[in-house]
Amino acid sequence: MGTAIPRLVRAEWTKLLTTRVWIGLLLGACLMVGAFATLFTAFAGNDDSGIAPVGTATYEQLALAVSANATILFIVLGIIGTTQEYRHRTATPTFLASPHRGRVVIAKLLAYVAAAAPMALVVIAVDVLVVTVYAGAKGAAPSLTGDNLRVLVGAWAALVIYTVIGVGVGALLRNQVGAIVGALVYLFVVEGIISSIPATQGAYKWLPGGALEAMTATFNQTDLLSAWQGGLLLLVYGVAAAVLGTVLAVRRDVV
Amino acid sequence: MPGVTLAAAQGWSTCSPRTVPVRLDGSDAGPTGASEEDEISSGRSTALDPVRVDVSGLTKNFGSVRAVDDLSFTVEPGQVTGFLGPNGAGKTTTLRMALGLITPDRGTTTFNGTPYAALPEPTRQVGAVLETAFHPARSGRNHLRVYCRAAGLPTSRADEVLEQVGLGPAGNRKAGGYSLGMRQRLGLATALLGDPAVLVLDEPANGLDPEGIQWLRGFLRHLAHDQGRTVLVSSHLLAEVEQTADRVVIVGAGRLVRQGSLTELRAGSVGSVLVRSPQATALAELLRATGTSVDATDGSAAGITVNGLPVEEVGRRAFAGGIELHELRAQTSGLEEVYFRLTAGQEQYAADHSDTAATPGVS
Repeated sequence: MGTAIPRLVRAEWTKLLTTRVWIGLLLGACLMVGAFATLFTAFAGNDDSGIAPVGTATYEQLALAVSANATILFIVLGIIGTTQEYRHRTATPTFLASPHRGRVVIAKLLAYVAAAAPMALVVIAVDVLVVTVYAGAKGAAPSLTGDNLRVLVGAWAALVIYTVIGVGVGALLRNQVGAIVGALVYLFVVEGIISSIPATQGAYKWLPGGALEAMTATFNQTDLLSAWQGGLLLLVYGVAAAVLGTVLAVRRDVV
Repeated sequence: MPGVTLAAAQGWSTCSPRTVPVRLDGSDAGPTGASEEDEISSGRSTALDPVRVDVSGLTKNFGSVRAVDDLSFTVEPGQVTGFLGPNGAGKTTTLRMALGLITPDRGTTTFNGTPYAALPEPTRQVGAVLETAFHPARSGRNHLRVYCRAAGLPTSRADEVLEQVGLGPAGNRKAGGYSLGMRQRLGLATALLGDPAVLVLDEPANGLDPEGIQWLRGFLRHLAHDQGRTVLVSSHLLAEVEQTADRVVIVGAGRLVRQGSLTELRAGSVGSVLVRSPQATALAELLRATGTSVDATDGSAAGITVNGLPVEEVGRRAFAGGIELHELRAQTSGLEEVYFRLTAGQEQYAADHSDTAATPGVS
C-alpha cells in the first residue's frame, strides 16, 4: 500500500549524502567541540577561570560534556533537512512521489535520527580524544566509566534529539533562514533571558535548554530535572514539533 | 527532426523491459508480465494500459480571488492534449490540484477513476513536470536517484532517463549550473522515471531553444501516438502546442472556454491571408462585394490583407475574376485568431456564460 517508508528513508539518505551540508556541519561540530575541550583543559585548575583542576570529577564531567554544545549544529542539520525542500522547491517532486505527506516527515525523522547517531558519535569521539590526550598530558586522563560515561551518553542522546527537533521545527516553519535564525535566537537569547530573570527562572528547567543542561553535566545551582527526565522532555519537544509540522505539511498547499 | 524522434524511440526500447511489471493496479503484473516483456522488446505501443484523466468541477479560491472556477474537462489516452490559457488563467493551479499538491475547494481529478493521492504507485502511473527547481548542489543524476529510491525503482533508471532526454553527458554536473533548457530536460527525466502512462507538463517549452522545442514536440507525439500515453501539456502560447496537440482545452480566468480537437477548433474560423497583386484594388473590390473584410497591407500598394477567408477561397475568387496574383499566403493561422478571441476577449465570450463573474485578479 502506497509508498513504503523504508523507501522514503533511503531517499532522504540519498538527499543528505549527495550534498555537502552534512560534511560541513560535522566538521564544524568537531572543530567547535575540539576547541572547547582544549580551552577547558587548558584553563583547568586556573584560579581565574573557576574550572576545577584536571583529575577532579567536576573537571572531567565538564570537559566531556562540551560535545553538547554541538547541539546547535545538529538542530541546524535537522532544520536544513526539511526546509531545503521548500527553499529549493523540491517539495513538489517529493510530494508527487509520496502524496502521503505524513510519511515523508516520518521518513525524514527516521533518516535523520539514523544519520545523526553516527555523526554524534564522531563528535563525542573528538571530545574524548582531545580530553584524554590533553588531560593525560596534564596529569590524569579521565576514565570513561560511571558518571563520565553517563555524561557522554547524555551528550550523544542530546545531539540526536536536537536533530529531531530541527526536523520538526523545519517542517513547521518551512523558511530555512527564518528557522535557523529563530532557533539560534531562541537558544542563545530567549532562554538566556528566561533563565536569568528570577520571575521566569522556574520555567527554565522545562525548556529545551534546561532539559539539555539536565542531560549533561552541570554544576550550576539552578533547579533542573534529572538526566532521564531532561532527555524525555527534549524528545517530547522534538516529536511535538514534528507532529505539528506534519499536520501542517499535510494541510498546506504546495505552490 | 526524424533522427531526433528515432533516437527518442530507441531510448524507450532500451529501457522498456524494466517498465513492464509497472502496471496501473498491479493486478496484471503477474503471469502476463513475461509475455508482455517479449512483446515490448519489439515495440511497446500496445503494452501500456490507457489512462483517462477526468477533471470535474475543480474550484479554488485564493483569498477573494477565484483562481479556478468549476473547471471540468477530460484528457484522453493516446493523444497530446494542449492545456491553453493566458498567464494567470489558473492552469498551474489546476495541474497542482489534479496532482494533489493543492487542495481544491471543490471538485475532483481522477486517473481512470482514482484520485492521485489514492494511486498505489503514483510515480509509475503519472509523471509530472511542474517546475524546474532542483537542489543546486546536487547533480542531475543524484537528483533522479533520490526519486528512484522514493518510488522503489532501481537507480539505473536515472541513467536511462538521462539518456532519453539527452542529458547523459551532463548527468554528473551540479543541477545549479544547468541552463534553463537543461533544467526542463531534467524535469522531464524526473517525470519519466516511473515510465508512467500519464504525463503532465506545465509550460515545458519555457527556456528550450528552437531545436529543443522541436525535439520536445517529436518526443511528446511519440509518447502519445506511438506508445499510447496520455499527455497533457500546458502553455500560454497556442503556437507552441499547435503542431503537437491533437486536442486542446482552453481556459480563461479559471473557467473552461473551449475543449475539443484542433480540427474542430479550426473549423470555427479562418485567419488572414496576404495577397500581392498588380490589380490589388480590383481584387479588394471583388472581395468586398461579397462582404469580406479587406485591409491595405503596410508598406506596399500592391498588397492587401484578406480576413475571414481561407487561402484556397481567395485564390479561387481571384482566378475566377481573372486577377493576376504575385503572392498568396496565410498570414495568421485561423487557430491563433480563435485562441486570441477566446482568451483576450473574455467579455465577448462570457456572453455564453450567464453567470460569469469578472475576476480581473487572475486574468
